[in-house]
Amino acid sequence: MSGRLRATAEYGAALALLGLAWWYASGPYGMPPYLLPSPASVLTTLWNMLAAGQLLPHIAFTIQNIVLGLLIGTVFGVLLAYLLFKTPFLNDVLEGPLVVLQTAPKIALAPLIIIWFGLGLTAKIVLIFSLVFFPVFAGALAGFRAIDSRLHDLAQLLRLTPAQRFFRVDLLASLPSIFVGVKIGAIQALVGAILAEWMSGAQGLGYLMTYATATYKTPILFGAVLLTALFGMVMHALLNEIEARFLSWNVPDER
Amino acid sequence: MITIEQIAKKFSGKSGEVIALEPFSQEIAEGELVSIIGPSGCGKSTLLRIIAGLETPTSGKIVLGTSGLKRPVGFVFQDAVLLPWKTVAENIRFPLDTSGVPRSQGDQKVKELIQLVGLAGFENSLPKQLSGGMKQRAAIARALADDPPILLMDEPFSAVDLLTRETLNDELSRIWRKTGKTILLVTHSVEEAAYLGTRVMVMSPRPGRLRKTFDVDLPSPRGEETKRSPEFLDLVAELRTMMREMTQ
Repeated sequence: MSGRLRATAEYGAALALLGLAWWYASGPYGMPPYLLPSPASVLTTLWNMLAAGQLLPHIAFTIQNIVLGLLIGTVFGVLLAYLLFKTPFLNDVLEGPLVVLQTAPKIALAPLIIIWFGLGLTAKIVLIFSLVFFPVFAGALAGFRAIDSRLHDLAQLLRLTPAQRFFRVDLLASLPSIFVGVKIGAIQALVGAILAEWMSGAQGLGYLMTYATATYKTPILFGAVLLTALFGMVMHALLNEIEARFLSWNVPDER
Repeated sequence: MITIEQIAKKFSGKSGEVIALEPFSQEIAEGELVSIIGPSGCGKSTLLRIIAGLETPTSGKIVLGTSGLKRPVGFVFQDAVLLPWKTVAENIRFPLDTSGVPRSQGDQKVKELIQLVGLAGFENSLPKQLSGGMKQRAAIARALADDPPILLMDEPFSAVDLLTRETLNDELSRIWRKTGKTILLVTHSVEEAAYLGTRVMVMSPRPGRLRKTFDVDLPSPRGEETKRSPEFLDLVAELRTMMREMTQ
């Protein structure tokens, strides 16, 4: 626990230092506000937007897309991995193409995805999905393959049904590996969500950034970037918390 | 009752066929505790896995006198193979949960089993918090959970230290007398085989085959005095000589 407290303190100190540097550069050092608005002006702008009800819809939109993309990507990533794990034939046929797809830069495909799926929500979710899917798939497949073979013996001895095998043994045994994929996928999802909003639509933190850039409202740009970074940190902390709570069985006790 | 009828097993690998088990037959009566010993490669684990239905024999068949039971055998692995995300109690009730036994009935059964194997107070511990011996106790309780008439044990105590091993031997003997299960125990230790078994099957390697069976005429319950009795010591000496011949 004290280690965790120290980590939080160190994290806080680093942030404070960064804030101080920002304040110094925009204040005493004298960077022009259109290049670097002061922390105070950014916070005031955010506060005013929040009070006017102009901020929350954007935040909610981005979070909604990330959560949806992350959920769908995770479910499909895990299911396809299990299908490959259980079907050697599919594994032989699909593994090659999937590795090629996995190494393809999905971000570069973003314009294509918009052409295919339109300017609306679908394209955004598809882009996020494509970014989440592969790390989760890779993590899950590695996890399924690493299951102790005697757990399969146990499942066979207990005559478990296929559903029992999946939900009560294989999925849980692979959860630590799957979670590694989800954590990578979550960061990718954030990048994907912002990128998709840069390219089309009129909602979300990514849209706020392009809007602010086009209209030279630098404080809004900074505010949106700040909120995105903040959301990334919250998501990371949340996933760590989930991991600590539900996957502690996987971590050897300190002796 | 277990009837082994001309069971044989071949594995085909890169370097051709390997005969894991040459055909042999054997009958094991209800309530017997049969020890199976032999050097590595004698097919003793393969035999156990075939009886458990984890491997299919190349020829021959196994008849379990347990007509119609969904899970006729309980199996104890060399190391416990508990589900690491479940507590001791949850692990023991896993066979019950997955066969639709009602919650309250399961709770009662788990309580009894925890008493039987001496794990009271550790119900809510995770496997990672247990010593090797305690894990093995939990594994035995799990194997007994849905009351299979046959218990198959594949070197169940080889991963625990000597003192724990002796304690667990006595515990197993007590559980066997109390439950009346038919038990097949694969082991490396001649003392363990002689101390626990009503019969000892000695197997020889390359190819795996049944070398000889010994009836163990030692009074039950057995204890420290058994281990000092001339009959026991003679049997151990004979088994050891046989094992030594085979490994040379």
